[in-house]
Amino acid sequence: MRRWFIGLALLAAAPAALACELAGGPAQTLKSNTYTVVYRTGPLRTGEHFAVDFAVCPAPESVRVDAWMPEHRHGMNYRPEVRAQGGGRYRAEGLMLHMAGSWEFVFEVRSGGKTERLTHRVQVE
Amino acid sequence: MRRALLVAVLAAAQTAFAFTGAEVRAVAAHGPWPPALRPDPSNRVSGNREAIELGERLFFERRVSAGGGVSCSRCHVPELNWTDGQARAKGLALTDRNTPSILNVRLARWFGLDGAQDSLWSQGIRPILDPREMGASAAHVAKLVREDVDYACRYRKVFGTTPPASDEAVLADVAKALAAFQETLLSGRTPFDDFRDALVRGDQTGMSRYPEAAKRGLQIFIGKGSCNFCHTGPAFTNGEFHDTGIPFFIEPGRVDPGRYEGIKKLLASRFNLLGPYNDDATRATATGTRHVALEHRNFGEFKTPSLRNLALTAPYMHNGGLATLRAVVDHYSTISPDRLHSDGEAILKPLRLSEEESRDLVAFLDSLSDGGGAYRRKAFTADCR
Repeated sequence: MRRWFIGLALLAAAPAALACELAGGPAQTLKSNTYTVVYRTGPLRTGEHFAVDFAVCPAPESVRVDAWMPEHRHGMNYRPEVRAQGGGRYRAEGLMLHMAGSWEFVFEVRSGGKTERLTHRVQVE
Repeated sequence: MRRALLVAVLAAAQTAFAFTGAEVRAVAAHGPWPPALRPDPSNRVSGNREAIELGERLFFERRVSAGGGVSCSRCHVPELNWTDGQARAKGLALTDRNTPSILNVRLARWFGLDGAQDSLWSQGIRPILDPREMGASAAHVAKLVREDVDYACRYRKVFGTTPPASDEAVLADVAKALAAFQETLLSGRTPFDDFRDALVRGDQTGMSRYPEAAKRGLQIFIGKGSCNFCHTGPAFTNGEFHDTGIPFFIEPGRVDPGRYEGIKKLLASRFNLLGPYNDDATRATATGTRHVALEHRNFGEFKTPSLRNLALTAPYMHNGGLATLRAVVDHYSTISPDRLHSDGEAILKPLRLSEEESRDLVAFLDSLSDGGGAYRRKAFTADCR
Protein backbone atom coordinates (compact mmCIF):
# COMPACT_ATOMS: atom_id res chain seq x y z
CA MET A 1 0.00 0.00 0.00
CA ARG A 2 2.79 2.40 0.97
CA ARG A 3 4.73 1.56 -2.23
CA TRP A 4 1.58 2.27 -4.26
CA PHE A 5 1.31 5.75 -2.63
CA ILE A 6 4.95 6.61 -3.45
CA GLY A 7 4.34 5.58 -7.05
CA LEU A 8 1.30 7.87 -7.24
CA ALA A 9 3.29 10.79 -5.81
CA LEU A 10 6.04 10.26 -8.38
CA LEU A 11 3.46 10.16 -11.15
CA ALA A 12 1.97 13.41 -9.91
CA ALA A 13 5.39 15.02 -9.78
CA ALA A 14 6.47 13.72 -13.15
CA PRO A 15 4.82 16.37 -15.37
CA ALA A 16 6.41 19.21 -13.40
CA ALA A 17 9.84 17.59 -13.47
CA LEU A 18 9.57 16.96 -17.18
CA ALA A 19 8.38 20.52 -17.83
CA CYS A 20 11.59 21.87 -16.34
CA GLU A 21 13.86 19.93 -18.59
CA LEU A 22 15.04 22.22 -21.35
CA ALA A 23 16.00 20.22 -24.39
CA GLY A 24 19.08 21.14 -26.34
CA GLY A 25 22.07 21.17 -24.00
CA PRO A 26 23.28 22.37 -20.62
CA ALA A 27 21.06 24.82 -18.75
CA GLN A 28 21.08 26.68 -15.46
CA THR A 29 18.58 25.67 -12.77
CA LEU A 30 17.20 28.16 -10.22
CA LYS A 31 14.87 27.27 -7.37
CA SER A 32 12.60 29.18 -5.01
CA ASN A 33 10.12 27.84 -2.47
CA THR A 34 7.48 27.56 -5.18
CA TYR A 35 9.17 27.48 -8.57
CA THR A 36 11.96 25.94 -10.54
CA VAL A 37 13.34 27.90 -13.50
CA VAL A 38 15.64 26.24 -16.00
CA TYR A 39 17.20 28.64 -18.47
CA ARG A 40 19.74 28.82 -21.23
CA THR A 41 21.13 31.74 -23.24
CA GLY A 42 23.21 31.93 -26.36
CA PRO A 43 26.81 33.12 -25.96
CA LEU A 44 26.85 36.25 -23.80
CA ARG A 45 28.90 38.95 -25.51
CA THR A 46 28.92 42.59 -24.50
CA GLY A 47 26.77 44.69 -26.82
CA GLU A 48 25.04 41.88 -28.70
CA HIS A 49 21.35 41.04 -28.54
CA PHE A 50 20.49 37.54 -27.36
CA ALA A 51 17.52 35.41 -26.36
CA VAL A 52 16.79 33.38 -23.23
CA ASP A 53 15.00 30.04 -23.48
CA PHE A 54 13.54 28.86 -20.21
CA ALA A 55 11.02 26.68 -18.48
CA VAL A 56 9.08 27.46 -15.28
CA CYS A 57 7.60 24.79 -13.04
CA PRO A 58 4.86 24.84 -12.03
CA ALA A 59 3.60 26.97 -14.92
CA PRO A 60 2.85 30.48 -13.57
CA GLU A 61 0.23 32.99 -14.64
CA SER A 62 2.93 35.31 -15.94
CA VAL A 63 6.70 35.67 -16.00
CA ARG A 64 9.07 38.57 -16.73
CA VAL A 65 12.77 38.39 -17.50
CA ASP A 66 15.22 41.19 -16.83
CA ALA A 67 18.92 41.71 -16.12
CA TRP A 68 20.81 44.34 -14.18
CA MET A 69 24.22 45.21 -12.80
CA PRO A 70 23.79 45.48 -9.02
CA GLU A 71 27.18 47.12 -8.46
CA HIS A 72 26.51 49.71 -11.18
CA ARG A 73 22.89 50.17 -10.14
CA HIS A 74 21.51 50.02 -13.66
CA GLY A 75 19.63 47.58 -15.82
CA MET A 76 19.56 46.94 -19.50
CA ASN A 77 18.64 49.62 -22.01
CA TYR A 78 16.25 47.17 -23.65
CA ARG A 79 12.95 45.61 -22.60
CA PRO A 80 12.77 41.91 -23.42
CA GLU A 81 9.58 40.34 -24.71
CA VAL A 82 8.58 36.97 -23.30
CA ARG A 83 6.62 34.58 -25.46
CA ALA A 84 5.08 31.36 -24.16
CA GLN A 85 6.11 28.37 -26.25
CA GLY A 86 3.66 25.96 -24.61
CA GLY A 87 4.22 23.31 -21.96
CA GLY A 88 5.64 25.79 -19.45
CA ARG A 89 8.41 26.84 -21.82
CA TYR A 90 9.17 30.41 -22.81
CA ARG A 91 11.51 32.47 -24.96
CA ALA A 92 12.58 36.00 -24.05
CA GLU A 93 13.99 38.10 -26.89
CA GLY A 94 15.64 41.51 -27.09
CA LEU A 95 18.07 41.33 -24.18
CA MET A 96 21.46 43.03 -24.39
CA LEU A 97 24.17 43.39 -21.76
CA HIS A 98 25.86 46.63 -22.78
CA MET A 99 28.75 46.60 -20.33
CA ALA A 100 31.31 44.07 -19.22
CA GLY A 101 31.12 42.91 -15.60
CA SER A 102 28.76 41.16 -13.22
CA TRP A 103 25.13 40.98 -14.34
CA GLU A 104 22.19 39.38 -12.57
CA PHE A 105 19.38 37.69 -14.48
CA VAL A 106 16.01 38.13 -12.80
CA PHE A 107 13.00 35.88 -13.45
CA GLU A 108 9.91 37.45 -11.91
CA VAL A 109 7.28 34.75 -11.64
CA ARG A 110 3.69 35.59 -10.72
CA SER A 111 0.67 33.49 -9.80
CA GLY A 112 -2.32 34.03 -7.50
CA GLY A 113 -1.36 37.62 -6.73
CA LYS A 114 2.10 36.59 -5.43
CA THR A 115 5.40 37.34 -7.14
CA GLU A 116 8.67 35.50 -6.61
CA ARG A 117 12.04 36.57 -7.99
CA LEU A 118 14.59 33.97 -8.98
CA THR A 119 18.02 35.41 -9.74
CA HIS A 120 21.35 34.27 -11.10
CA ARG A 121 24.67 36.11 -11.49
CA VAL A 122 26.75 35.88 -14.65
CA GLN A 123 30.10 37.45 -15.53
CA VAL A 124 30.40 39.06 -18.97
CA GLU A 125 33.74 40.04 -20.48
CA MET B 1 44.36 31.09 -27.61
CA ARG B 2 45.02 30.18 -23.96
CA ARG B 3 48.67 29.37 -24.78
CA ALA B 4 49.03 32.66 -26.67
CA LEU B 5 47.68 34.57 -23.67
CA LEU B 6 50.08 32.74 -21.34
CA VAL B 7 53.00 33.65 -23.60
CA ALA B 8 51.74 37.24 -23.63
CA VAL B 9 51.51 37.39 -19.85
CA LEU B 10 55.00 35.92 -19.39
CA ALA B 11 56.48 38.28 -21.98
CA ALA B 12 54.69 41.27 -20.47
CA ALA B 13 56.00 40.34 -17.05
CA GLN B 14 59.56 40.75 -18.36
CA THR B 15 58.99 44.37 -19.42
CA ALA B 16 59.06 47.33 -17.06
CA PHE B 17 55.31 46.81 -16.70
CA ALA B 18 53.86 43.58 -15.51
CA PHE B 19 50.51 43.14 -17.23
CA THR B 20 48.47 40.52 -15.40
CA GLY B 21 46.49 37.91 -17.27
CA ALA B 22 43.31 39.89 -16.68
CA GLU B 23 44.99 43.04 -18.00
CA VAL B 24 46.21 41.28 -21.13
CA ARG B 25 42.67 40.06 -21.78
CA ALA B 26 41.34 43.58 -21.20
CA VAL B 27 43.86 45.09 -23.62
CA ALA B 28 43.27 42.35 -26.20
CA ALA B 29 39.55 43.19 -26.16
CA HIS B 30 40.36 46.56 -27.80
CA GLY B 31 41.37 44.89 -31.03
CA PRO B 32 42.06 43.69 -33.57
CA TRP B 33 42.06 46.75 -35.77
CA PRO B 34 40.77 47.18 -38.39
CA PRO B 35 37.76 45.05 -37.46
CA ALA B 36 35.96 42.65 -39.77
CA LEU B 37 33.33 44.56 -41.75
CA ARG B 38 29.94 43.48 -43.03
CA PRO B 39 27.51 45.24 -45.37
CA ASP B 40 24.48 46.83 -43.71
CA PRO B 41 21.45 44.60 -44.47
CA SER B 42 19.11 47.56 -43.96
CA ASN B 43 20.73 49.37 -46.90
CA ARG B 44 20.49 47.55 -50.24
CA VAL B 45 23.36 49.61 -51.70
CA SER B 46 25.74 49.18 -48.75
CA GLY B 47 29.17 48.34 -50.18
CA ASN B 48 28.07 49.10 -53.77
CA ARG B 49 30.93 50.89 -55.57
CA GLU B 50 28.68 53.20 -57.60
CA ALA B 51 26.60 54.01 -54.52
CA ILE B 52 29.78 54.96 -52.68
CA GLU B 53 30.71 57.36 -55.48
CA LEU B 54 27.21 58.87 -55.59
CA GLY B 55 27.27 59.24 -51.82
CA GLU B 56 30.68 60.91 -51.89
CA ARG B 57 29.49 63.44 -54.45
CA LEU B 58 26.32 64.15 -52.45
CA PHE B 59 28.33 64.52 -49.25
CA PHE B 60 30.17 67.50 -50.70
CA GLU B 61 27.13 68.81 -52.62
CA ARG B 62 25.90 72.15 -51.26
CA ARG B 63 22.76 72.07 -53.40
CA VAL B 64 21.38 69.38 -51.08
CA SER B 65 20.71 72.17 -48.57
CA ALA B 66 18.01 74.82 -48.77
CA GLY B 67 19.62 77.82 -50.45
CA GLY B 68 22.51 75.72 -51.77
CA GLY B 69 25.08 76.97 -49.27
CA VAL B 70 25.75 74.07 -46.90
CA SER B 71 26.97 70.52 -47.55
CA CYS B 72 27.54 67.69 -45.08
CA SER B 73 31.22 68.65 -45.20
CA ARG B 74 30.44 72.04 -43.63
CA CYS B 75 30.53 70.34 -40.23
CA HIS B 76 32.24 67.05 -41.14
CA VAL B 77 35.47 68.49 -42.53
CA PRO B 78 37.82 65.76 -43.84
CA GLU B 79 40.93 67.72 -42.90
CA LEU B 80 39.61 68.10 -39.33
CA ASN B 81 39.09 64.38 -38.84
CA TRP B 82 35.52 64.74 -40.15
CA THR B 83 34.48 67.19 -37.45
CA ASP B 84 34.68 70.99 -37.39
CA GLY B 85 36.82 72.06 -34.44
CA GLN B 86 33.94 74.09 -33.01
CA ALA B 87 32.25 73.61 -29.64
CA ARG B 88 28.82 73.49 -31.24
CA ALA B 89 28.07 72.76 -34.87
CA LYS B 90 26.93 75.57 -37.14
CA GLY B 91 25.07 74.87 -40.36
CA LEU B 92 22.47 77.43 -41.40
CA ALA B 93 22.39 78.37 -37.70
CA LEU B 94 24.10 77.42 -34.45
CA THR B 95 23.02 74.02 -33.11
CA ASP B 96 23.08 72.66 -29.55
CA ARG B 97 25.74 69.97 -29.85
CA ASN B 98 29.31 69.24 -30.81
CA THR B 99 29.90 67.66 -34.23
CA PRO B 100 30.91 64.02 -33.79
CA SER B 101 33.51 62.63 -36.19
CA ILE B 102 32.07 60.22 -38.76
CA LEU B 103 35.22 58.09 -38.87
CA ASN B 104 34.29 54.49 -38.02
CA VAL B 105 30.62 55.52 -37.91
CA ARG B 106 29.60 52.27 -39.62
CA LEU B 107 30.44 50.41 -36.42
CA ALA B 108 27.77 52.23 -34.41
CA ARG B 109 24.48 50.76 -33.21
CA TRP B 110 22.79 54.11 -32.61
CA PHE B 111 23.47 57.33 -34.50
CA GLY B 112 23.56 60.89 -33.29
CA LEU B 113 24.58 61.90 -29.79
CA ASP B 114 21.05 61.10 -28.60
CA GLY B 115 20.70 57.95 -30.71
CA ALA B 116 17.58 59.26 -32.40
CA GLN B 117 18.46 57.21 -35.48
CA ASP B 118 19.01 53.46 -35.72
CA SER B 119 20.82 53.26 -39.05
CA LEU B 120 23.58 55.19 -40.75
CA TRP B 121 21.28 56.03 -43.63
CA SER B 122 18.49 57.40 -41.44
CA GLN B 123 21.09 59.47 -39.60
CA GLY B 124 21.95 61.12 -42.93
CA ILE B 125 18.37 62.35 -43.28
CA ARG B 126 18.30 64.22 -39.98
CA PRO B 127 20.75 67.07 -40.80
CA ILE B 128 19.31 67.44 -44.30
CA LEU B 129 15.89 68.23 -42.81
CA ASP B 130 17.03 70.11 -39.67
CA PRO B 131 16.32 73.83 -40.18
CA ARG B 132 19.52 74.73 -38.31
CA GLU B 133 21.74 72.44 -40.35
CA MET B 134 20.80 72.09 -44.03
CA GLY B 135 17.15 73.16 -43.83
CA ALA B 136 16.01 71.15 -46.86
CA SER B 137 12.97 68.97 -47.49
CA ALA B 138 12.36 65.62 -49.16
CA ALA B 139 10.86 67.50 -52.13
CA HIS B 140 13.95 69.70 -52.44
CA VAL B 141 16.37 66.73 -52.43
CA ALA B 142 14.18 64.67 -54.80
CA LYS B 143 13.99 67.60 -57.23
CA LEU B 144 17.79 67.89 -57.29
CA VAL B 145 18.24 64.18 -58.00
CA ARG B 146 15.49 64.08 -60.64
CA GLU B 147 16.49 67.26 -62.50
CA ASP B 148 20.29 67.16 -62.34
CA VAL B 149 21.28 65.02 -65.33
CA ASP B 150 24.41 63.60 -63.69
CA TYR B 151 22.67 62.72 -60.40
CA ALA B 152 19.68 61.21 -62.21
CA CYS B 153 22.08 59.06 -64.26
CA ARG B 154 24.00 57.95 -61.16
CA TYR B 155 20.74 57.22 -59.31
CA ARG B 156 19.67 54.91 -62.17
CA LYS B 157 23.02 53.12 -62.10
CA VAL B 158 22.91 52.57 -58.36
CA PHE B 159 19.23 51.74 -57.84
CA GLY B 160 18.42 50.32 -61.29
CA THR B 161 15.49 52.64 -61.92
CA THR B 162 14.66 56.30 -62.37
CA PRO B 163 13.97 58.20 -59.14
CA PRO B 164 10.47 57.21 -57.95
CA ALA B 165 7.54 59.60 -57.66
CA SER B 166 7.69 59.59 -53.87
CA ASP B 167 9.95 62.40 -52.61
CA GLU B 168 10.35 60.54 -49.34
CA ALA B 169 11.55 57.38 -51.12
CA VAL B 170 14.14 59.41 -53.08
CA LEU B 171 15.33 61.03 -49.85
CA ALA B 172 15.76 57.60 -48.26
CA ASP B 173 17.77 56.40 -51.28
CA VAL B 174 19.95 59.53 -51.22
CA ALA B 175 20.62 58.83 -47.55
CA LYS B 176 21.53 55.22 -48.39
CA ALA B 177 24.09 56.40 -50.95
CA LEU B 178 25.47 58.85 -48.37
CA ALA B 179 25.72 55.99 -45.90
CA ALA B 180 27.53 53.79 -48.45
CA PHE B 181 30.18 56.51 -48.72
CA GLN B 182 30.46 57.06 -44.98
CA GLU B 183 30.94 53.33 -44.46
CA THR B 184 34.30 53.68 -46.21
CA LEU B 185 35.62 56.13 -43.61
CA LEU B 186 37.72 54.09 -41.21
CA SER B 187 40.62 55.25 -39.10
CA GLY B 188 43.98 53.60 -39.58
CA ARG B 189 46.18 51.63 -37.24
CA THR B 190 47.62 53.42 -34.27
CA PRO B 191 50.59 53.00 -31.89
CA PHE B 192 48.16 51.38 -29.46
CA ASP B 193 47.14 48.75 -32.05
CA ASP B 194 50.78 47.82 -32.63
CA PHE B 195 51.30 47.49 -28.87
CA ARG B 196 48.12 45.50 -28.39
CA ASP B 197 49.05 43.04 -31.12
CA ALA B 198 52.61 42.73 -29.77
CA LEU B 199 51.24 42.09 -26.28
CA VAL B 200 48.93 39.34 -27.55
CA ARG B 201 51.81 37.77 -29.53
CA GLY B 202 54.21 38.11 -26.60
CA ASP B 203 56.53 40.16 -28.83
CA GLN B 204 58.95 41.99 -26.51
CA THR B 205 60.48 44.13 -29.25
CA GLY B 206 57.09 45.27 -30.49
CA MET B 207 55.95 46.09 -26.95
CA SER B 208 59.09 48.08 -26.23
CA ARG B 209 58.26 50.58 -28.99
CA TYR B 210 55.17 51.80 -27.12
CA PRO B 211 55.95 54.79 -24.88
CA GLU B 212 56.23 53.99 -21.18
CA ALA B 213 53.83 56.81 -20.26
CA ALA B 214 51.20 55.34 -22.62
CA LYS B 215 51.63 51.92 -20.99
CA ARG B 216 51.06 53.45 -17.56
CA GLY B 217 48.05 55.34 -18.91
CA LEU B 218 46.66 52.14 -20.42
CA GLN B 219 46.87 50.44 -17.04
CA ILE B 220 44.89 53.31 -15.53
CA PHE B 221 42.37 53.09 -18.39
CA ILE B 222 41.63 49.42 -17.75
CA GLY B 223 42.28 49.54 -14.00
CA LYS B 224 41.91 52.42 -11.57
CA GLY B 225 40.01 54.52 -14.11
CA SER B 226 37.60 51.76 -15.22
CA CYS B 227 37.30 53.77 -18.42
CA ASN B 228 36.79 50.50 -20.30
CA PHE B 229 33.45 49.96 -18.56
CA CYS B 230 31.94 52.20 -21.24
CA HIS B 231 34.78 52.60 -23.75
CA THR B 232 34.77 48.95 -24.77
CA GLY B 233 35.93 46.94 -27.75
CA PRO B 234 38.03 47.79 -30.78
CA ALA B 235 36.21 51.11 -31.30
CA PHE B 236 36.47 52.03 -27.59
CA THR B 237 32.73 52.52 -27.15
CA ASN B 238 29.85 50.37 -25.94
CA GLY B 239 27.61 52.31 -28.31
CA GLU B 240 25.18 53.16 -25.51
CA PHE B 241 24.29 56.23 -23.44
CA HIS B 242 25.45 57.63 -20.11
CA ASP B 243 25.16 60.70 -17.94
CA THR B 244 28.73 61.89 -17.43
CA GLY B 245 27.94 64.94 -15.33
CA ILE B 246 28.28 67.42 -18.19
CA PRO B 247 25.62 70.13 -17.78
CA PHE B 248 22.69 69.67 -20.11
CA PHE B 249 21.59 73.29 -19.93
CA ILE B 250 22.13 74.79 -23.37
CA GLU B 251 21.28 78.27 -22.13
CA PRO B 252 19.16 79.61 -19.27
CA GLY B 253 15.74 77.97 -19.47
CA ARG B 254 16.66 75.51 -22.24
CA VAL B 255 17.94 71.98 -21.70
CA ASP B 256 19.20 69.21 -23.95
CA PRO B 257 17.27 66.09 -22.89
CA GLY B 258 19.70 63.81 -24.74
CA ARG B 259 18.76 60.15 -25.02
CA TYR B 260 15.32 60.65 -23.46
CA GLU B 261 14.14 62.73 -26.41
CA GLY B 262 16.28 60.65 -28.77
CA ILE B 263 14.28 57.50 -28.06
CA LYS B 264 11.01 59.38 -28.54
CA LYS B 265 12.20 60.75 -31.89
CA LEU B 266 13.47 57.32 -32.94
CA LEU B 267 10.14 55.61 -32.28
CA ALA B 268 8.20 58.38 -34.04
CA SER B 269 10.35 58.34 -37.18
CA ARG B 270 9.08 56.86 -40.45
CA PHE B 271 12.72 56.22 -41.33
CA ASN B 272 13.45 53.92 -38.41
CA LEU B 273 14.25 50.25 -38.98
CA LEU B 274 10.71 49.20 -38.13
CA GLY B 275 9.45 51.39 -40.97
CA PRO B 276 8.95 50.91 -44.70
CA TYR B 277 12.45 51.93 -45.83
CA ASN B 278 14.41 49.17 -44.10
CA ASP B 279 15.71 46.92 -46.90
CA ASP B 280 16.21 44.01 -44.50
CA ALA B 281 13.10 41.89 -45.08
CA THR B 282 13.83 39.80 -41.98
CA ARG B 283 13.78 42.93 -39.77
CA ALA B 284 16.54 41.31 -37.69
CA THR B 285 18.29 44.68 -37.91
CA ALA B 286 15.37 46.24 -36.01
CA THR B 287 15.81 44.23 -32.81
CA GLY B 288 17.27 47.16 -30.87
CA THR B 289 14.55 49.54 -32.02
CA ARG B 290 11.83 47.02 -31.19
CA HIS B 291 13.09 46.53 -27.65
CA VAL B 292 14.66 49.86 -26.65
CA ALA B 293 13.35 51.05 -23.27
CA LEU B 294 12.49 54.65 -22.46
CA GLU B 295 13.42 55.41 -18.85
CA HIS B 296 13.49 58.60 -16.81
CA ARG B 297 17.22 58.11 -16.29
CA ASN B 298 17.75 58.59 -20.05
CA PHE B 299 17.33 62.33 -19.50
CA GLY B 300 20.73 63.93 -19.99
CA GLU B 301 22.37 60.76 -21.26
CA PHE B 302 24.52 60.99 -24.38
CA LYS B 303 26.24 58.41 -26.53
CA THR B 304 29.63 57.08 -25.49
CA PRO B 305 31.97 58.31 -28.22
CA SER B 306 34.65 56.21 -29.86
CA LEU B 307 38.11 57.18 -28.67
CA ARG B 308 39.85 56.44 -31.95
CA ASN B 309 41.51 59.57 -33.34
CA LEU B 310 40.35 61.31 -30.19
CA ALA B 311 43.38 63.60 -30.15
CA LEU B 312 42.20 65.03 -33.50
CA THR B 313 38.62 65.85 -32.51
CA ALA B 314 38.77 68.61 -29.89
CA PRO B 315 36.73 70.10 -28.32
CA TYR B 316 35.04 67.33 -26.37
CA MET B 317 31.78 66.14 -24.79
CA HIS B 318 28.26 66.49 -26.22
CA ASN B 319 28.34 70.27 -25.93
CA GLY B 320 31.99 70.77 -26.86
CA GLY B 321 32.46 72.24 -23.40
CA LEU B 322 35.92 70.79 -22.71
CA ALA B 323 38.72 72.14 -24.91
CA THR B 324 41.46 69.56 -24.37
CA LEU B 325 42.00 65.91 -23.54
CA ARG B 326 43.58 67.02 -20.27
CA ALA B 327 40.37 68.88 -19.41
CA VAL B 328 38.40 65.68 -20.04
CA VAL B 329 40.71 63.67 -17.77
CA ASP B 330 40.43 66.38 -15.11
CA HIS B 331 36.62 66.23 -15.40
CA TYR B 332 36.58 62.51 -14.59
CA SER B 333 39.26 62.97 -11.94
CA THR B 334 37.22 65.49 -9.99
CA ILE B 335 33.62 64.70 -11.00
CA SER B 336 31.07 65.32 -8.28
CA PRO B 337 28.50 62.51 -7.84
CA ASP B 338 26.03 65.26 -6.90
CA ARG B 339 25.96 66.26 -10.57
CA LEU B 340 24.67 62.86 -11.65
CA HIS B 341 21.09 61.57 -11.57
CA SER B 342 20.13 60.31 -8.13
CA ASP B 343 18.18 57.48 -9.83
CA GLY B 344 20.84 56.89 -12.44
CA GLU B 345 23.84 54.64 -12.74
CA ALA B 346 26.44 54.34 -10.01
CA ILE B 347 29.40 53.99 -12.35
CA LEU B 348 31.20 57.31 -12.09
CA LYS B 349 33.14 58.43 -9.08
CA PRO B 350 36.03 60.90 -8.91
CA LEU B 351 39.20 59.14 -10.05
CA ARG B 352 41.41 61.49 -7.99
CA LEU B 353 44.36 61.04 -10.36
CA SER B 354 47.74 62.50 -9.49
CA GLU B 355 49.42 64.90 -11.87
CA GLU B 356 51.60 62.12 -13.26
CA GLU B 357 48.66 59.73 -13.63
CA SER B 358 46.69 62.38 -15.51
CA ARG B 359 49.61 62.95 -17.90
CA ASP B 360 49.97 59.20 -18.42
CA LEU B 361 46.28 58.77 -19.19
CA VAL B 362 46.48 61.57 -21.77
CA ALA B 363 49.59 59.90 -23.27
CA PHE B 364 47.57 56.69 -23.67
CA LEU B 365 44.62 58.53 -25.24
CA ASP B 366 47.02 60.27 -27.64
CA SER B 367 48.25 56.85 -28.77
CA LEU B 368 44.77 55.98 -30.10
CA SER B 369 45.19 58.27 -33.11
CA ASP B 370 46.45 57.43 -36.59
CA GLY B 371 47.65 60.95 -37.34
CA GLY B 372 44.71 61.72 -39.60
CA GLY B 373 44.81 63.13 -43.11
CA ALA B 374 44.24 59.90 -45.02
CA TYR B 375 41.32 61.20 -47.10
CA ARG B 376 41.96 63.12 -50.30
CA ARG B 377 39.22 65.29 -51.77
CA LYS B 378 38.37 64.57 -55.37
CA ALA B 379 37.55 66.92 -58.24
CA PHE B 380 34.14 65.74 -59.41
CA THR B 381 33.00 66.12 -63.02
CA ALA B 382 29.55 65.44 -64.42
CA ASP B 383 30.52 62.44 -66.50
CA CYS B 384 27.86 59.80 -65.85
CA ARG B 385 26.71 57.99 -68.96
